[in-house]
Amino acid sequence: MSTFSEPVDELGPLLARIANGDRPAFGRLYDLTSNRLFAVVRRVLRRPELAEEALQEAFVRVWQKANLYDAAQARPMAWLAAIARNQAIDLRRRSSERVGEELDEENIGGNGQAAVLPEADLALELKRLRDCLSRLPENRQDMVLLAYYQGWSREELAAQFRRPVTTVKTLLRRSLITLRECLDGRA
Amino acid sequence: MAGLEELEGLAAEYVLGTLDRAEREEVEQTLPKESELAELVAAWERRLIPLALALEPVTAPPYIRGKVLAAISGGAADPNNVVALERRANRWRGAAVAAWALAAALAGVILFRPLDVPEGSRYVAVLQSEGPGPAFIASIDLASGTISVRPVSAITPTGKSYELWALGAGREKPQSLGVIAANFRIPSEKLGKIDSAALGDTVFAVSLEPEGGSPTGQPTGPVMFTGKLVATE
Repeated sequence: MSTFSEPVDELGPLLARIANGDRPAFGRLYDLTSNRLFAVVRRVLRRPELAEEALQEAFVRVWQKANLYDAAQARPMAWLAAIARNQAIDLRRRSSERVGEELDEENIGGNGQAAVLPEADLALELKRLRDCLSRLPENRQDMVLLAYYQGWSREELAAQFRRPVTTVKTLLRRSLITLRECLDGRA
Repeated sequence: MAGLEELEGLAAEYVLGTLDRAEREEVEQTLPKESELAELVAAWERRLIPLALALEPVTAPPYIRGKVLAAISGGAADPNNVVALERRANRWRGAAVAAWALAAALAGVILFRPLDVPEGSRYVAVLQSEGPGPAFIASIDLASGTISVRPVSAITPTGKSYELWALGAGREKPQSLGVIAANFRIPSEKLGKIDSAALGDTVFAVSLEPEGGSPTGQPTGPVMFTGKLVATE
């Protein structure tokens, strides 16, 4: 049961209406979710105008793709956040935003930014994910979190961690497999 | 076809966000066609998304809402709109086209994607205003050196002409690409001025001009559509 104050249960029906071209439903969806999606894209894109562009692109994409939403694959908020993240990372790659970017301390180390009191099932998943992440060597945790939150490419990680790009790729893939095995209960 | 392990690694890194631009584009173009890759990506999204959902919400600037709603207005009700044009474009190039739909900052939404093989030699741009205004499809064929502009729902006011311009990418002033008419084509000597390497930085604009085109060589009438081209390799 959701204990989260946000009317998450409203999002599924809204997406169904949006798939039929319902603009008021789209406006409502924007009002309910834009602050959470903006939080996601703003991590990836530090320049405000780029973050705003990504948010717009994400919502346009939601409007176009709502008919493809599959409740069996993802909860609405997860689906929306994934679209926003992907738009942001694509825009980051297109704009090559990276110059002068500093490590964002809040993203690494403790990865403890659960400022939102999440719904119960999310809280469980988050705890599990963090437990599994914490089993990775510390610099690999940082790599994974920098990539996920800030959209750093292998090249950017290689420069930051002073490792060859091929090594970073190997470390990332190894970390992800370890993570998957932990999450899927095989470790 | 990549082995399963490579496919899994690609899906995981796509979701994690560490792929470079070319690799991401490849994954995004493959996703609609390869259900195996799509399922791997979906599984990775499910595994990692709690991190994104745990972020503290941040209120977006209020004007974004209006821009988003403007970008989708005319999107579903009018058959001559961006969505319909996208479907047409999708037949040419697959679902990846929609990924490039931009909520263009001010006046319009433009799609700009390569058409068919050879890669990078043909492009299409869909020009659409926010309101119920006219729309054009511009096709650029670098191999044959032509641009053709097809008015889709454009009604040219009596005594007026639409003129196509290229801006940016090192141009100091708007460069006229010619006056738009039915079956309008721009010959190669004109197109030669467009450096294909700079296409991604080129902005297309359409202005409303006196019949026959701008008398000054620069836009004199209202700019009806504009948008930055998104180049792909």
